[in-house]
Amino acid sequence: MDDFHASQPIFVQIRQRLIEMILRQQVAEGDALPSVRQIAGDLSVNPLTVTKAFEALVDIGVVEKRRGLGMFVTSGARAHLLAHEREKFLKEDWPRIAAQIKALDLDLKDLISTDTKREGQTK
Amino acid sequence: MSELSVSADPIVSARGLTKSFGRKQILHGLDFDIPAGRIYGLVGHNGAGKTTTLNAMLGLTSYEGTIRVLGEDPFARRAKLMENVAFISDVASLPRFLRVRELFALLTNIHPNFSPEKARQFLEGTDIRPEMKIRTLSKGMIAQLHLAVVMAIDAKLLVLDEPTLGLDITYRKRFYRRLLEDYMTEERTLIITTHQVDEIEFMLSDIMFIRDGEMILHMQMETVSEKFTQLVADSAEAQAQARAHRPVYEETRFGQTVFILDGVEREKLEPLGRISTPTISDLFVALMQRPTANPETAR
Repeated sequence: MDDFHASQPIFVQIRQRLIEMILRQQVAEGDALPSVRQIAGDLSVNPLTVTKAFEALVDIGVVEKRRGLGMFVTSGARAHLLAHEREKFLKEDWPRIAAQIKALDLDLKDLISTDTKREGQTK
Repeated sequence: MSELSVSADPIVSARGLTKSFGRKQILHGLDFDIPAGRIYGLVGHNGAGKTTTLNAMLGLTSYEGTIRVLGEDPFARRAKLMENVAFISDVASLPRFLRVRELFALLTNIHPNFSPEKARQFLEGTDIRPEMKIRTLSKGMIAQLHLAVVMAIDAKLLVLDEPTLGLDITYRKRFYRRLLEDYMTEERTLIITTHQVDEIEFMLSDIMFIRDGEMILHMQMETVSEKFTQLVADSAEAQAQARAHRPVYEETRFGQTVFILDGVEREKLEPLGRISTPTISDLFVALMQRPTANPETAR
């Protein structure tokens, strides 16, 4: 989100941030998301760019525009996004990570034990 | 987005816009259209013709060729046009002997689309009080007051010529945040010139570069990122391969060579080094230094 010159277009980065807000339940289903103006002002980006990010979420049915009120998270949005993001992870990210695990010759035991150690530390 | 890009009439339209002072020609025939709902950045060196172009749009200078703002000839119909156009010029001043409240009263009398309530609202959260004399305000406060005044005018076109000149970074950020949060709508158009172009880069929908009175780039920001690529290449071999793509700009910084390429597919450049979209200021430097403007890049 802080590097707009990276290969990802800004609207994609904003869309991703909105998806995270919904997934982490920072904004609950049925509640309003920050307005286009507010996001544009916060990030100093063009309002059209923000609108484009919202439109992408309206297209997949997780956000709806209520005239004069703003953008709202639809009911069932989180489940829908979770399915969407899981599929994306398995399709796009996992093959790369799996290949790296293989290349580093790590086995499941190493991975799980590292993971639980971390959790133990944060608790 | 889509409904905006097809919107009917351009807010500003220029054809063969030429301006001479005596024998010296300042603008060499500019052609451009500015649609509604967009934020334009106008970039050029001092003396390149930015302010002259803006002045022609605002009816502040005579010119040859055609220019239409909201369908009107700005020079002939200036008073009429000013109902729908607001601007802050880089040499703007407000009457120093007035109090803020008196300034608002004056503007209410002379401008049909000025709302003193809105202006007062925009000053909430600042240190400016209605009873203050303008001459006692700091530079940053004057800029805030000026912005409050122009934002309180229900205009379709707002022209800002170096609006943040001499302001510190906090004031500059606040200034642009205000514009985006409280002013910009799909019906309004904003034209900004600034030397601190990197600060407003992502606010812009379109960019115009003027060099020596000619428009050498006029492009949507989205197209800029599709068309131009910055490549940082370390090895001599990668650099040679990059050169084969005929970069528009090349500079060696700290042992690495930075290239800017025009219209080369990113897949071809990815193996050669680190790629990104050039910042507007890097692109500006690159295109300003080219010996001849490439007609393909001017729209």
